[in-house]
Amino acid sequence: MAGQTVGVRAKEQAEARYFLVALCAFLALMLGFPAVANLWYSFSNFTFHDLTGGSFVGLANYQKAISNPNLWAAFGFSLKFAAICMTIEVVAGLLLVFILHPLLLKRPWLTGILMLPMMVSPALMGVMYRLILNEFTGVIPAYLALAGYPINFLGRNNVYMTVIGIEVLQWTPFAFLIMLTARQGLAGELEEAAAVDGATGFRFNTLVVLPVMIPTIIIVAFIRFIDSFRVFDHIYVLTGGGPGNRTTSLSIYIYKLFFNQNFLGEAVAVSIMLLVASLTLLFAGLRLAIRRNGR
Amino acid sequence: MIVRRRNLASRIGTALRWLVFIVTGFVLNLPIIMTVVTSLKSTADINTSPPPLLFEPTLDNYREVLGAGNTDLPGYILNSIVIAGGGALLAIALAFPAAYAMVRYEVGKSWLLPLITNLRAVPLIIFAIPIYLMYQLAGLLDSWTGMILIECVINIPVALVLFVGFVQDIPEEMDAAAKIDGASIWGTLWHVIFPLSRPILFAVLILSFVYGWNEFLFGLILTTKQAVPVTVGATFFVTSYGVKWGATAAAMTLGIIPPLILGLFAYPYIGKSMLTGAVKG
Repeated sequence: MAGQTVGVRAKEQAEARYFLVALCAFLALMLGFPAVANLWYSFSNFTFHDLTGGSFVGLANYQKAISNPNLWAAFGFSLKFAAICMTIEVVAGLLLVFILHPLLLKRPWLTGILMLPMMVSPALMGVMYRLILNEFTGVIPAYLALAGYPINFLGRNNVYMTVIGIEVLQWTPFAFLIMLTARQGLAGELEEAAAVDGATGFRFNTLVVLPVMIPTIIIVAFIRFIDSFRVFDHIYVLTGGGPGNRTTSLSIYIYKLFFNQNFLGEAVAVSIMLLVASLTLLFAGLRLAIRRNGR
Repeated sequence: MIVRRRNLASRIGTALRWLVFIVTGFVLNLPIIMTVVTSLKSTADINTSPPPLLFEPTLDNYREVLGAGNTDLPGYILNSIVIAGGGALLAIALAFPAAYAMVRYEVGKSWLLPLITNLRAVPLIIFAIPIYLMYQLAGLLDSWTGMILIECVINIPVALVLFVGFVQDIPEEMDAAAKIDGASIWGTLWHVIFPLSRPILFAVLILSFVYGWNEFLFGLILTTKQAVPVTVGATFFVTSYGVKWGATAAAMTLGIIPPLILGLFAYPYIGKSMLTGAVKG
């Protein structure tokens, strides 16, 4: 009888595997095959006209890639950009949670208003900022000039600050939403108990809420870091990576190498290195998470 | 006395909270507000400096971008609808049965699920080049099919995680009851799990549609003319139309309104979906 049950279960499991076949085949075709092709291309001297040709050139593409100082400049830009944006977004989001939590608890629909920027395509967000920050017809520079602060947001000296500002303004709502959800999940008794002990307001937030929310804060920071690190859309439409290479992120760098400068092998080599780096990071993160859960 | 003072303090506190909310809401949404406002201005009003606070709204810009034969914008919008919709439906068709198999039969849960969820954290540009080359060989460049396939890839991690989370919460007795009645796995999935999962299917459909609609990188790389989505098409306005900010603003407004409206329905799920990649299942 028991053997029969196990048999049925095994048969069902075998059948259930079919449910995965379509998904696996699809991903193998769309991601696995390109990844393998990419690996081959990174060791060959292929051209646009002869995609299946090209001969083995060893590590030449990699050598060219890592000896290009622009790669390290772009890597540095992405790293710094991600670190700055992540920090501002987490801090601003957390402050907003502390300040707005009591309001939103009674009126959850208000949260939706703060969420709107997240729903906009980052590329169109970039174009919209280009519209309102335009030196001549932009609304914001016009009013600032009236107030006696003429600023050219897209000029050479300010553009770095501007692309960071746009990223922060679009994605602080995300940090805010996740941390707000965590804050709302805290039991109300916690607040009452703390009040009895004399911890209210600011003291309650820093001594009781903050420590409890640390895991959420870490997750939010991690997501915002990886998303900002691979930034492409709004910078591409706003500055195209310029002036010079001043706002060229790693994603834009690879794009330009391949599509504008025609350094195909070099671009592929960079993307393979980026893939290996991000997979290593992810697996390290995953192992850490498993170890923490196991304890 | 003390009570009254505390009352006053808490009232001031609440007023300050409202002030923070209003200022934050205004600043965060400023580009959206300004773009919509600009799209309703006449060219003369746009070029007036300083910008007039009061003006007579006009729909001329919308007439210009949507009018027959004027611009390619209607085509871009159609492309976006087809690509985002197709990508969302295909992702659901692939991910939903897989999520069911993973939850109920523990197949692939230990290796496939973490592999797919982590995909979201990999920079997309890595796959952009080989997929471009593959599409060139396969003749899929600048086609609806090619764009639908790639949007589907992008949507799968989020769809899978949300489905796995939802199916886990469906009591297993539901399946058992169906099986006693002699239903196969397919039958159970189709007649029991699928109807019960309607809320999550709806949420994933909306979210995937929004992601597909908002996607830019692959639209930029893989399309040139026939299948250009509105996110890419709207950027053409900036260069090709030069200083025609009114028309650009109208095009942009049309490009952001669908996700804004859909997003308001799905926003409770948004946070959860964006956590994909950092938390397992």
